[in-house]
Amino acid sequence: MSGTVITLGPQQLALEEPMYFSVEVDGEIVVGLDVLAGHVHRGMEHLVMKRNFYQNITLLERLCSLCSNSHPSTFCTAVEELAGIRIPARAEYLRAIADEIKRISSHLFNCAIIAHIIGQGTLFKRVMEVREIMQDTKESIYGNRMDLAANCIGGVRYDLTPESAVYLGKQMERIKGPLEELYRIYATDHAIRTRTEGLGVLPNRDAINYAVVGPVARASGIDYDVRRKSPYWAYDRLRFQVAVEQAGDVRARAMVRLREAREAVSLIEQCLVDLPPGPLCSDTLPEIPAGETIAKSEAPRGELIYYLNTDGTDMPVRLKWRVPSYMNWDALQVMLKGQRVADIPLIVNSIDPCISCTDR
Amino acid sequence: METRPVINPIPPVRLYRINAGSCNGCDVELAATAAVASFDVERLGCCYSESPAEADIVLITGPLTLRVKDKVLRLHGEVPKPKVTVAVGVCPISGGVFRDSYAVAGPADDYLPVDVNVPGCPPHPRAILAGIAKAAALWRELSGCGQTLPEPAVPGSYDEDAAAPLGLRGKMRFNAAACVGCRMCEHVCAGGAIRIDELGPGLRFTLWHNSCVFCGLCSHYCPTKALTVTDQWQLSHFQEDKFSLTEQGFIPFVACTGCGHIMLPATPELLRVSYRKTNPEIERLKTLCPECRQKQSLGGIRR
Ligand code: SF4
Ligand code: SF4
Repeated sequence: MSGTVITLGPQQLALEEPMYFSVEVDGEIVVGLDVLAGHVHRGMEHLVMKRNFYQNITLLERLCSLCSNSHPSTFCTAVEELAGIRIPARAEYLRAIADEIKRISSHLFNCAIIAHIIGQGTLFKRVMEVREIMQDTKESIYGNRMDLAANCIGGVRYDLTPESAVYLGKQMERIKGPLEELYRIYATDHAIRTRTEGLGVLPNRDAINYAVVGPVARASGIDYDVRRKSPYWAYDRLRFQVAVEQAGDVRARAMVRLREAREAVSLIEQCLVDLPPGPLCSDTLPEIPAGETIAKSEAPRGELIYYLNTDGTDMPVRLKWRVPSYMNWDALQVMLKGQRVADIPLIVNSIDPCISCTDR
Repeated sequence: METRPVINPIPPVRLYRINAGSCNGCDVELAATAAVASFDVERLGCCYSESPAEADIVLITGPLTLRVKDKVLRLHGEVPKPKVTVAVGVCPISGGVFRDSYAVAGPADDYLPVDVNVPGCPPHPRAILAGIAKAAALWRELSGCGQTLPEPAVPGSYDEDAAAPLGLRGKMRFNAAACVGCRMCEHVCAGGAIRIDELGPGLRFTLWHNSCVFCGLCSHYCPTKALTVTDQWQLSHFQEDKFSLTEQGFIPFVACTGCGHIMLPATPELLRVSYRKTNPEIERLKTLCPECRQKQSLGGIRR
């Protein structure tokens, strides 16, 4: 073993965020790696204790912008649990809609990056253009292309008017064809297959040992999705398939995401059909008693867990979370071992890592 | 290699991106300005560069965390002069929602010269383009290749008058006449963008657009809707205007008609929310302070 160590940064890894890797190589082959984290550490655990529950809704939406709806909605669920609030049925559907819209956007962004790394510039732009359908949707319904500001304690603070529901339905119709087309390209295109098949394999047993979550787990044959295992909001009334693949490679992870994007469209359509009338929010300014609780949801990158501890004041005593990306980083050890150095960016991006929630 | 006919003899202005610890919102939107045709920076005569040494304009995102500070300063230093620096998103401008954390070193202009600010959280790609257009014009002026700015391919794609996209959450508007001084907005604002302080004969309301993240929470919880979300999202500005980009209002105290004690006026909006319709009795009582009101009501019962 030669044991040369090289450092790779965001530029070499095609990451949007600053994350550094110290990689031990033997010639062209990876033999070990260390993740050098912390660059996006903004002291979130400290900040949430200095902000009240309301401020935290907005702050947590900025924990990570790609999963930005999952954070405030899961946080609000935890607060509601403590306050004994049941959110109105309409809000349960509206929260699911917001989460699924974000899921499609997030998954498409990752697919675009994968195309970019493979050197498929045209496909990269095509995926980004398809994603714009979702960006327009978010902008028109929520008022921002990334941060929806959809949640408040006790429910949601946006509504779908009859017109905006029709618009959302039309946007879903619009994106179906392109999503099918992208699925077909990623599944069958020869150039993509040769670059992604058998690459960065995470065998099922390792996936279990490393406790990976989200599309990374499901691509390694683990049938785990919080929406199915412990349904929240409207998910117990919605029909959907949990996308599971067996190969555990870069390709399988991309396929899981594209299948989930298609499922998300179906989920949104079901919500639009079933959307019950009624209020959006149960209690505007509830008392939050002392206590502790856990809330979880299936964010685009996997299981997101919130732990909240309160003392009866309007600020959390402690707020901790286990973010999905955090679980998945370690499994890169398995995926990268024995792979070529040139394939590192592709494999790293195949876990769709989010640095801002890892470092918080 | 892809070859293109040279349409424009002017060399493009080169942009270099530095992520100084962002939540990735601004970075994903910057990716859109590289990948999505309708937001393409090329229409401004700009292009992205992978190397700081070959760049003219620096785009900074994120609040400048302590951990990245030195790396950011080093990269920024590698960009040759005359460089123009753009702070994208409220994070580098004011710290945004991450302000006053032990882990945040920013705002960026404490450490490097910032020329253009693009408020928003994240800003719309078109707002980012407007900021880049300002920066490019400034760079051309500084480097002596001015006057030759190419016309954007699609006019109006970034200019200040472009129609607001449907329903976009832009800057907040404050209506002092409707404010009841309950300070709920100040309480819920994660960015600390709102301050209400007592100033002689009334309350002074200030909202800094460079700290605001356009979440609309203040408007949501405002009982009288004195705060409303507008669709004005085009807020990019030069550094000298950084602190004057505010929304202000003054709520004068009134004297109680009973005892002369000064108090906040009961606004028509408050009365509408509380009683839906007013009557002469409510109109009379509203000019009294709580204490006088209580006395009057008690007296009323006794009579
Ligand atoms: S300004 Fe907002 S969107 Fe941009 S990096 Fe900061 S928190 Fe994220
Ligand atoms: S919209 Fe209102 S609550 Fe939100 S950051 Fe701006 S001023 Fe604060």
